[in-house]
Amino acid sequence: MPFIPEILRHRSLSIVGLEKNTGKTVCLNYILNRLNQIGTHVGVTSIGVDGEQVDAVFATAKPEITLFRGTHFITSEKHYLIRQAVSKLVAVDSQRTSLGPLVTAEVLIQGKVLLSGAATTAVLKRQIQTFDRLGVDLSIVDGALSRLSLASPTVTEAMILATGAAVSANVKQLISKTKHLYQFIMLDEVEEPLRSTLGNIESGIWAVDSEGQIHDLGITSVFLIDRSEKDILRYGHTLFAAGAISDRLLKILAAKGKDITLIARDFTKIFVTPEVYTEYTRRGNRLMVLQRSKLIAITLNPTSPQGFLLDSRSTCDALSDALQTPVYDVKKIDQ
Amino acid sequence: MRIKELIKNDAGFQYIIDSLDLQSAAGRRGMLNTEFCNDPATLETEWNRLSEAIRATNDIPNRRYYIDLRHCLMCLHDLSGTFASLASHTPLNEVELFEIKNLCYTSKAAATAIEGLALTPTLPMPDCSAVFAILDPDHTGIANFYIYDSYDIRLAPLRRELNALQTSGGDPMRISELLAEQAEIQNEVCLRLSDELYPWVDTLVNTLNQMAYADGLLARAKLAIEWNLVRPAIGDVTRYKNLFNPRLKQRNEEMHMRYQPVSIEIRPGVCLVTGANMAGKTVLLKSIGTAQMMAQCGMYVPAEEATVHLVQGVATSIGDDQDEMNGLSSYASEIIKISNILADCRQRELLVLIDEPARTTNPVEGKALVQAIIKILEQSPSFTLITTHYGQLGSTCRRLRVKGFVEDLDNIPLTPQSINRFIDYSLTEDQSDNVPHEALRIAAILNCDSEMIALAEKSLQTT
Repeated sequence: MPFIPEILRHRSLSIVGLEKNTGKTVCLNYILNRLNQIGTHVGVTSIGVDGEQVDAVFATAKPEITLFRGTHFITSEKHYLIRQAVSKLVAVDSQRTSLGPLVTAEVLIQGKVLLSGAATTAVLKRQIQTFDRLGVDLSIVDGALSRLSLASPTVTEAMILATGAAVSANVKQLISKTKHLYQFIMLDEVEEPLRSTLGNIESGIWAVDSEGQIHDLGITSVFLIDRSEKDILRYGHTLFAAGAISDRLLKILAAKGKDITLIARDFTKIFVTPEVYTEYTRRGNRLMVLQRSKLIAITLNPTSPQGFLLDSRSTCDALSDALQTPVYDVKKIDQ
Repeated sequence: MRIKELIKNDAGFQYIIDSLDLQSAAGRRGMLNTEFCNDPATLETEWNRLSEAIRATNDIPNRRYYIDLRHCLMCLHDLSGTFASLASHTPLNEVELFEIKNLCYTSKAAATAIEGLALTPTLPMPDCSAVFAILDPDHTGIANFYIYDSYDIRLAPLRRELNALQTSGGDPMRISELLAEQAEIQNEVCLRLSDELYPWVDTLVNTLNQMAYADGLLARAKLAIEWNLVRPAIGDVTRYKNLFNPRLKQRNEEMHMRYQPVSIEIRPGVCLVTGANMAGKTVLLKSIGTAQMMAQCGMYVPAEEATVHLVQGVATSIGDDQDEMNGLSSYASEIIKISNILADCRQRELLVLIDEPARTTNPVEGKALVQAIIKILEQSPSFTLITTHYGQLGSTCRRLRVKGFVEDLDNIPLTPQSINRFIDYSLTEDQSDNVPHEALRIAAILNCDSEMIALAEKSLQTT
């Protein structure tokens, strides 16, 4: 039973897909099935309504997951009313989504359920607390494309990354794209006390001097960084960006100097293309994070939506070698 | 007039309402729908309730009831949409039925908490036990809900078979059939339950409104405690001892600046308020307007002692309403506003607060307009305060002057931030028809362009 014992060491887990059709649902169904067999009390929800998977108006076509007796789940009213599982409502959230309020329920007779959830991480955090109050052992958040934020270590303790032929049918490309995200997930953490000091900052770009003192650089937005007249490296070469880290920011820093350490809150705040990142690091600069996510496993779906099939064994091995992390074929995981 | 209209007023009542720590959307809706009331008996009852709520909030031995009640209010959802469906015979779905059951459950818990707090007069909560019973056929006593097996004899065997098939990975076709059949039965049950609940719609609406009212009451009590508000008495004149402006007081405290409350008596007729710039005349009008609205909306008021004369409305012209988009200049929008006030005060007894009327037009016509405004308002039953910099208005009406700058300022280094320490904001009765001439002095204190000030002084000496 791969990675199940590892999952059980955590209170919350997110499943994030690098692309649509990377087998998140298969992976989630596998985990739920196994946890049911060993009697773990699970709470399941999703983030947002994935525009590419489900039509907010017709509420169709999002893959269903099978929930077992005793499982708690949170979904929207609209999806709740078309569930196939028999379940009882235990709470209704005041938060409304385009599919009605979010409801919390407990499964009485197993069956398929459509998950939809909070659009913001703040609501998601509250939902995980709701699960905690209901005595859930593990909260699982089903990810949606373009919403990496749920995998932030401030929301869920651990994560699973789903990749596959949908990302690229070319194994080399697939490895390179997966590795690009993977390297951000695995960035080193800064140490205390800096970590706590910076953790309290909500916005702007800050410098850390050699004494460990922090200085607001007075740059409210990355878009204003090249308008700043003063040298942004005047306090030293360690910087912290409270918000998103973009290509633009890295390009500016790469042009400014060498040996820069730029600290991000966590990997979900990094939106950088491989070319720019390579150029940035080539000059001896590096990225760090305040908090690193616990990556439990990478799963691979060898089938692309167009029907293209990668060789499972060799692709898993190649990815595993490149990333130095176990990679599992979602279709074979259960065998 | 309701609070939702009053908060658009320029006296700053919005800040007060936004400061209420309401737990639910229904509570906020209820609060915004509160009427500006001028019936003494109703207001006394409101203040009695508020006084009891304040006592309950401070009642440490019974703290758990207070916390329970707050928790119930936190769980309150605005079900007005659901009730509208119910009233129009639209069948409710499972989620809506759950929400109704939850309201019944929560209101019962709230009633228990209210009983524990021993409020007098008590806050009656409608009895929803019959509704709860409809939605709790298995007598579980808890607020969970689904279409229970006991609602329809077909459900139990159907679900037994469904369970067996689902857990053993049985025939998907049969599972689909069973699910379709179950959905059919559930719809029938929802329809039947909606019919059974229909006669209770008024009770449910009342329950929601009472819960919303309780939310507003606790929020008003909390604000009264936090801001040190006082219960007003009702009288023929309005009298405040140490009236304060909550917003400004808080800001000053945050900035470690002094805040000076002001005492004032407001009598029928017109009273002119004069005083130097920066002497707090505008703030005074806003404080008075806000306090009147608070009192007549069932709140306590920001003062050490207060007697309030109840009026039929508060009419204000404070601040600059210049609206380029409407093509209205400052003067135009102001004079339209004042004209509306004058029309209104001929009909009703109002509290009228006008800040420096006609200040943005030429002083000759401006002064004439102020004289006309005073004349009209003197003939109305209203209580009027008008601030002005115009002297020699020739009116015999009452005048109050803000004492203003303390003497011997000349040798003290001043900054715009520290200036307020040297202003005495208190009011004094003034018999003269003159106004303070301190504009140049203040400009000097504020380190304004010295050539401008020198030229102005020179020009004053020659005229």
